[in-house]
Amino acid sequence: MAKTKDLDMMSSSAKVKLGASDMIVRGFGYFITTFYALACIFPFLIILGSSFSSEKSFNANGVQLIPKEFSTQAYEMVIKGGLIWKSYILTILLTLIGTGIGLSIIAMTGYALQRKDFPFRNPISFYIYFTSLFSAGLAPYYLLMTQTYKLKDSYLAVLLPLLMSPWLIILMKNFVKSIPHEITESGKIDGAGDMKIFTALILPMLKPALATIGLFLALGYWNEWYQTSLFLSSRVDVKPLQYMLYETVNMTDALKNTVAGQYVVITDIPSNTVKMATAMLATGPIVLLYPFVQKYFISGITVGAVKG
Amino acid sequence: MKKKLLAILLAATMVLGLTACAKGGSAKKVDTKEHVKITYMFTGTKPEGAAMDKFQDMNKKLNEILTEKCNAELEFYWIGWTDYLTVYNSNIAEMNGNIDLIGTASDWLDAWPNAKKGGFLELSEDMLKTYAPKTWASVSKEHWDLCKYDGHIYLMPEDNYAQWTNHGYIYRNDWAKKAGLTNGVHSWEDMTTYFKYVTANKDALGIKIAWDSDGTHNVQMASGWVASHSKFVPIDGICTAALWGGTKDDLYKIVTPAYTDTQMMVDFAKMMKEWDQMGVWKTDVLNNTTSTNRDDYRVGLVAAEQHHTQTWTDLCSKSPSNTIYDDPNAESGFFYFGEETDNVVALSITHGAMAVSAASKHPERALMVYDLLRNDPECYKLINYGIEGVSYALDSNGMRITPEGYDSSTDNVGGATSWWWGRNDDLELKDATRNWTAIEDLYKRYDKIKIDYPYGQFIPDVEVNGVGSKIKNCNQVFGDYMKQIAYGKYTGSAEDIVKEMQAKLKEAGIEDVTAELQKQFDALYKK
Repeated sequence: MAKTKDLDMMSSSAKVKLGASDMIVRGFGYFITTFYALACIFPFLIILGSSFSSEKSFNANGVQLIPKEFSTQAYEMVIKGGLIWKSYILTILLTLIGTGIGLSIIAMTGYALQRKDFPFRNPISFYIYFTSLFSAGLAPYYLLMTQTYKLKDSYLAVLLPLLMSPWLIILMKNFVKSIPHEITESGKIDGAGDMKIFTALILPMLKPALATIGLFLALGYWNEWYQTSLFLSSRVDVKPLQYMLYETVNMTDALKNTVAGQYVVITDIPSNTVKMATAMLATGPIVLLYPFVQKYFISGITVGAVKG
Repeated sequence: MKKKLLAILLAATMVLGLTACAKGGSAKKVDTKEHVKITYMFTGTKPEGAAMDKFQDMNKKLNEILTEKCNAELEFYWIGWTDYLTVYNSNIAEMNGNIDLIGTASDWLDAWPNAKKGGFLELSEDMLKTYAPKTWASVSKEHWDLCKYDGHIYLMPEDNYAQWTNHGYIYRNDWAKKAGLTNGVHSWEDMTTYFKYVTANKDALGIKIAWDSDGTHNVQMASGWVASHSKFVPIDGICTAALWGGTKDDLYKIVTPAYTDTQMMVDFAKMMKEWDQMGVWKTDVLNNTTSTNRDDYRVGLVAAEQHHTQTWTDLCSKSPSNTIYDDPNAESGFFYFGEETDNVVALSITHGAMAVSAASKHPERALMVYDLLRNDPECYKLINYGIEGVSYALDSNGMRITPEGYDSSTDNVGGATSWWWGRNDDLELKDATRNWTAIEDLYKRYDKIKIDYPYGQFIPDVEVNGVGSKIKNCNQVFGDYMKQIAYGKYTGSAEDIVKEMQAKLKEAGIEDVTAELQKQFDALYKK
């Protein structure tokens, strides 16, 4: 209640003070922001427009905001393969499961690492930090995953490596640090166990952190193509969405320029409009995630304020 | 005594042969009792949906033949184009015995490093003779020698397939005639005449610019100029600028004409300045990232394209995408770099080659399958083109056409198999849409003057004496200066800029690199 009152006061006092110079500054600000926003969305709209253009018109006239010859052929081409829906479902599942599991273990790790009564917390922190400094390189990693863990052609090879990253753990640890130790103590005094303290007291206060890190994780899973390229061979039919998109683009580049350009007839190469349509489909749902988690970003700013 | 011995040997072989025959089959009958699956790993994109169904139809048919002929079936194992080299090398290093045949290349797929590391099986002459007899017989001794590392054969080369990747300019011959070049363009000077005409008549010809270069042809143009003005034979794969190489007179003495022949480079700089002032390319050519020159050429929006012969064979042919040929007079010529000096080097025969995985459980059968795929007409057509009547058809001249109802997005089986490691001109079905009169004419000229690429086995060791970083530096310096020189964008005189470049190359250590490479060359070739 107090919060809203503060906000009201702030906005009303601003209204009173709004003079001519403020109007200019504000107008200018709005103008710049709008312009910048338009500039950001413009390429996206061009892709959207071009994806609905016919291939012929695209080649003759280049990219178009409003297609001169409207056609849904590109989308039909992309969807005709049928695999894209399965890829969609796979990517969504990976994102949901990965983010869910990842968030919970990162939150628990972060919380445990900042508890002062947690033994060996410094060596363990250092151990986690250390892995971000040194890595064994690609070949050992590949052999570890394929020969020791036998994860070749398994979706786990995509899911597991992205679950935790040192920097997300450190980020979470610092978030949790901002929650006063007294809260944990008060829970203890009331007789709550560690799990209870974590789920009932700490987690609700971590919402902004969960949203931030969850978004990082979700984006990581949504955009994942690298582990896929390494560990999911052609024996796996359904691949994550971004890999499919990336492969389309890479195939075009590889065939056209570098490797085997001389072998390939032009009709073998996916057409430009198909690339646009694929890009549209691949961006799709993840865009909707941003507004959903946005409010937590804003409330994240005030999370430090603890009142008695 | 000798005669007697010979007679005994002869008799022995006959007896052996007879017993073998009694078991049914040729002298060295191979045990094919067990049905095996041979996995063929290669770079390419796995088809999906309806295209996959068509592909499987072909695969099924192919497997029937393979089962009948050598009791094996073929499994395709695609390495997608995303980060392909890493994934490719990782899969070879895995050595789990799941892969048998490996499509490889010495210039773009790390064939030699993998042979060195033990990823590929050493193919003994005996093995090749026994299990891949047709391939063994069709490849000459000289070519087998080019497939050896440390004295052992590791690769089976695609050496009977004409593909020319020497660069040059693709231009409109009909316009060249109007420019007074009745015989076409055959030198850089002719090219100047041609560009003079098309830039002056831009609007009348309906082009937006003579050549919408994206500013990345700098090094290629410089190499082209060098090829046309010297007997230089560059070593591929050391750096993009191909600064080092031998000469046709002395293949194994390393030189860098672009560094040592000042006058040649000054002439180049001057001519390119002229082109720039004529307006051959856009004024902001060096920042021109949106060029679609090749597609523009197809529809007549530009007058030239710089790429290799194989691209020209596409651009010179009447096809649905090449709308310029709606005009019956339209004609595309090719001025190849080195035409003035007859300096043409064929593509390395190991640009496409097949290897057998060292971990393969059935290397013998893998060789048998390869021999069939490469030499058996039925298998060859299936893996290259698909099923007749579905993926391709033949016209009355025996040329390959697309059958009725053909849909390139699903029926193009050849696009999914990437059979680039054993194509065979004896079995190729010519694409009827190609302009074969023009193409064969050029190929014949090439065959007369070409030399085989001599350095296919040379893997420079760049770890020693910091040679690697010096090569990178030289490449960088040369590329940077060529951006200015090859697009005529330098200030001051041509002499000055060339002198400056030479000084910078010297600073970057070009002479040290030459000396080191020469040392490695001598070690390899002066045995």
